[in-house]
Amino acid sequence: MELFKTKTHIDFVRQMPFMVAFSVAIIVLSLVSFAVKGFNFSIDFVGGTVIEAQVPAGAGDVDEHRLRDILQKLGQPDATIVRLGAPEEREFRISLRGSQEEDQNLSATILKGLNENLGTEIVAKSVESVGPRVGGELRRAGVMAIVLSWIGILIYVWFRFEWQYAPGAVLALIHDVCFTAGMFSMFGWEFDMNVLAALLVIIGYSMNDTIVIYDRIRETVTTRGTTELESVVNEAINATLSRTVLTSGLTQLVVVAILLVGGPVLRGFALALFIGILVGTYSSIYVASAVLIWLARRYGHPVPAQKPERRTRTSRAAS
Amino acid sequence: MTLRGRWILIGVVTVVMAYLALPSFFSDEARASHWWLRRDGMTLGLDLQGGIHWLLRVDADAAVQRELEKIQSSVADEASEAKTQFSGAEIKGDTLIVRGDLAGLRKLIDENTQSVDVDERDGALVLTLKERWKRDAIDRGAATALEVLRKRVDAFGVREPIIAPQGHGRILVQMPGVEDREAAGKLLKSTTFLEFKQVIDAAPSQELLEAKFPKGIPEDQEIVINSTRAGKESEALLVPKKAVLKGDMLEDARMEFDRRNRPIITFQWNSEGAKIFRDFTGANIGHRLAAIIDGKVITAPVIQSKIGRRGEITGDFTREEASNTAIQLRSGALPIPLILEEERAVGPSLGADSIRDGVRASLLGAGLVFVFMGVYYSLTGMFANLALIVNVIILIGLMSATKATMTLPGIAGVVLTVGMAVDSNVIIYERIREELRNGKTARAAIQVGYARSFWTIFDSHVTALLSSIILVMIGRGPVQGFGVTLTIGLVASMFTALVVTRTLMDTIYGPNPERLRI
Repeated sequence: MELFKTKTHIDFVRQMPFMVAFSVAIIVLSLVSFAVKGFNFSIDFVGGTVIEAQVPAGAGDVDEHRLRDILQKLGQPDATIVRLGAPEEREFRISLRGSQEEDQNLSATILKGLNENLGTEIVAKSVESVGPRVGGELRRAGVMAIVLSWIGILIYVWFRFEWQYAPGAVLALIHDVCFTAGMFSMFGWEFDMNVLAALLVIIGYSMNDTIVIYDRIRETVTTRGTTELESVVNEAINATLSRTVLTSGLTQLVVVAILLVGGPVLRGFALALFIGILVGTYSSIYVASAVLIWLARRYGHPVPAQKPERRTRTSRAAS
Repeated sequence: MTLRGRWILIGVVTVVMAYLALPSFFSDEARASHWWLRRDGMTLGLDLQGGIHWLLRVDADAAVQRELEKIQSSVADEASEAKTQFSGAEIKGDTLIVRGDLAGLRKLIDENTQSVDVDERDGALVLTLKERWKRDAIDRGAATALEVLRKRVDAFGVREPIIAPQGHGRILVQMPGVEDREAAGKLLKSTTFLEFKQVIDAAPSQELLEAKFPKGIPEDQEIVINSTRAGKESEALLVPKKAVLKGDMLEDARMEFDRRNRPIITFQWNSEGAKIFRDFTGANIGHRLAAIIDGKVITAPVIQSKIGRRGEITGDFTREEASNTAIQLRSGALPIPLILEEERAVGPSLGADSIRDGVRASLLGAGLVFVFMGVYYSLTGMFANLALIVNVIILIGLMSATKATMTLPGIAGVVLTVGMAVDSNVIIYERIREELRNGKTARAAIQVGYARSFWTIFDSHVTALLSSIILVMIGRGPVQGFGVTLTIGLVASMFTALVVTRTLMDTIYGPNPERLRI
C-alpha cells in the first residue's frame, strides 16, 4: 500500500510567509494568555492538596454541591470538586490549591470533617499534598529544563549542520512549546507534571522532523548548489513529506490510544502530546525551513563539506 | 559484520534481554522459588502499587536554635570555669544574647567557639551563627533524622522502603504498600523523648503546688502533671527544667511483661548514661524520680536502691502503647522537627486501575501501529514489527537489569517508544521506495536507503536523547521514571532499526532482491 504514489510538488516555500504570520499571531496570543490568564497549574507547581475519595453507598445522595457546602463549612470555600467516573461510582476529586505550610494535617482535617458531616467513612483512594516551596522549585526546574534542551539542541545542530540551520531549529521548538502551553493557558486545562514531561517529549519529537528535513536540504544542496535555495528546500520537504506525515500519524495513533483509554492521570499528558506533535510537524516544515532560508539569503549558505564517512558510504553504496 | 555474525549478535542480545526481562513478570515469591529466575526485576512505582511518598525538610530555624542552645550552655560552663562574670544568655530569634563581663566573655568565645560571629550591641554580646555552620547544622540534622527515620520505618514493617537524602536538608521517604496514613504519620513525630527528672516537690494539684511558692516557682523549674494512673488521683510535681538523663543516652528499649503480666518498658543505658544514672540514684535514695516521655509523666517512683545500666518503667499503658513507645525510644528522637513538604498517598485499588488503563492503552496503541506497518509495507513492514518487539524486549530487559521503577507515565513511555522507534523504519523504507521510483534496482535501493538514512536517524536520536536525559535529571517520581524509559527506549530503537531490520532484509532479500515487497 502507498499513500504517496507519485512525488508531491507542493510549493511550501511560497506558503511560508502566510504560515509564519499565522505562527507569529498564535505565539503572540499565547504570550498574552501566559501574562493575562496564566496557567491552571496543578498542585505539583503551586502547592495544595488533592484528595480522591469514594463515598460509601450508605451516605445517601452525594453530589458536588453537597460536598462543596461541607467544605465551605470546614473553611475551604475555594475547594474545587469534580466527580470522577459514573455517578454510581460515587468518586470525587477535591482540590485545594495553595497554602499547605501552615496546616500540615489539612488533608486529615478535611477527611475527618467530611466523615462527620456525611456520617460515614469515606475511602480516600489517594491523597496528595505539596508545599508551595516544592511547587515553586518545580516550576523553576521545569522552565530550566525546557530552556536547557533548547540550548543543547541549538549547539548540537550548529555542530552537526551549519550555523544557519540552528536558529530555525530552535525557533521551531520554541514555537511548539509556546503553542502547546498556550493552548493549555487559553483553555484553562490543568497543567501538571506530566504535561511538563510532554513538552520535553515534544521538543525531542519535533526535532526529529526538523532534522529529517534539514538533512535532506543539506544533502540536496551538496548536489544542486545554493543558487536556488527555495527550490532545494521545496524539493527536500516534498521528498520527506511521506515520511513526515507517516511517522507523525503513527505516533498520533499511540497518543490517541493513551488519550482514549489511558485513564484520567495521563489525559493531560496525551492531550499535550497530541497538540505538540501536530504543531511540531507543521513547524518543522514551515518555521524551521523559513528561518533557514531567511538566514541563508542574508548571510549566505556555505556548501557544506560532506562528511567523509558519509561520502564513502553513500558513494560505495550507490555504485 | 557478516550476516551470520549479525544474527548471532541479535540472537544473543534478544535472549539475554528476554532473560533479564523475565523476572519483571513474576511476583517476588515466584522469583525466590524458581532457580531459573533472576531475583531482580523492575519495581512498580508507588503510583502503580500504592503506598506513601514523603518529601521532608529539616526545619532550618529549629536546627539553628538547637545549635545556639549548645553554645549557650557551653558559654555558661566556660564562664564559670574561667571565673568570668556571666549574668545570663538568652536566645532571641537566630541570635544568642550574652550579658556579663563583655570583654572577658568575648575573649572566651573567640577562643572556644569558631561557629559564631560576635557583635556588641546595647551592652550585650550578640552571637550569630556563621552561614557555613548554619548549613552544617542543617546537614547534620538531616543526617541524624535520616538514621532515625530508617530505624522507625524498619520497625514499622515496611518492605523495601526508600529513605534517601534529597539535596540540602531534604529527605525522601517511599513506603510501598503502606495504606494507613495516620499510623505512618506517627513515624514523623519529632520527639519521643524519655527524660528522668528528680522530683523537688509534689502536691495533689497544680494550684496547691503553686500556692507553696508565693513568689512564683524558680525560673529553672517547672510543674508537670502526673495523671497517668487510672483510678489514682493525679498529682502535680515540681521538677527542674534540666533533666538528669535524656533518652539520647539509651542503648536499648523494649516492651516486656512484669511478674503480674503487665506491659513494662525495659531500657538500657550506654556506659556514659549508666554512670550518670548510677551516681544520681546512689546519691538520691529515698527521693522520687519522674520518668517523663514526651512531656507526660509516666511514673514517679521513689528510688529504692542504686540503679545502673538497666532499668524498667512501669506505667499505665496498654501492650501496644508500650511496644510503640519502646520502638520510638529505641530509634531515638528526631533531633530537629521535620516539615512535610510533599505527601502522595495512593491506595492499591487506584494503582491497579492505573495499571489496567496503562496496559490497555499500550496494547491498543502498539496494535494499531503493528497493523498499519503490516498493511502499508507488507512483508517489510512485518520486519519492522519484529524489530519493535525486540525493541520492547530490550527496553524491559535493561529496565529490569537496572532495577528501574515502572510508573504510569513510564508505561506510556514504553508505547511511545514503539511509536517513535517505528519512525526510524519509516525513514528508511520511504527512502527505499524513493530510490526504487528513481529507477534503482531493489538491491541498490536497500543499500542506499540504509546508508543515506543512517546519519538522519543518528542525529534525530541524539537530539531526542538530549531532552529525555534532561527529563531524568529534573523529573521526580513518576515523570523521572518516564524519562528513564524513554532514554533506554531510544537507545534500543537505534539498534533495532539499524541492525535488526537490516539483517532481516539482507537475509530474505539478499539472495533474490526482486522479491522485495515494500
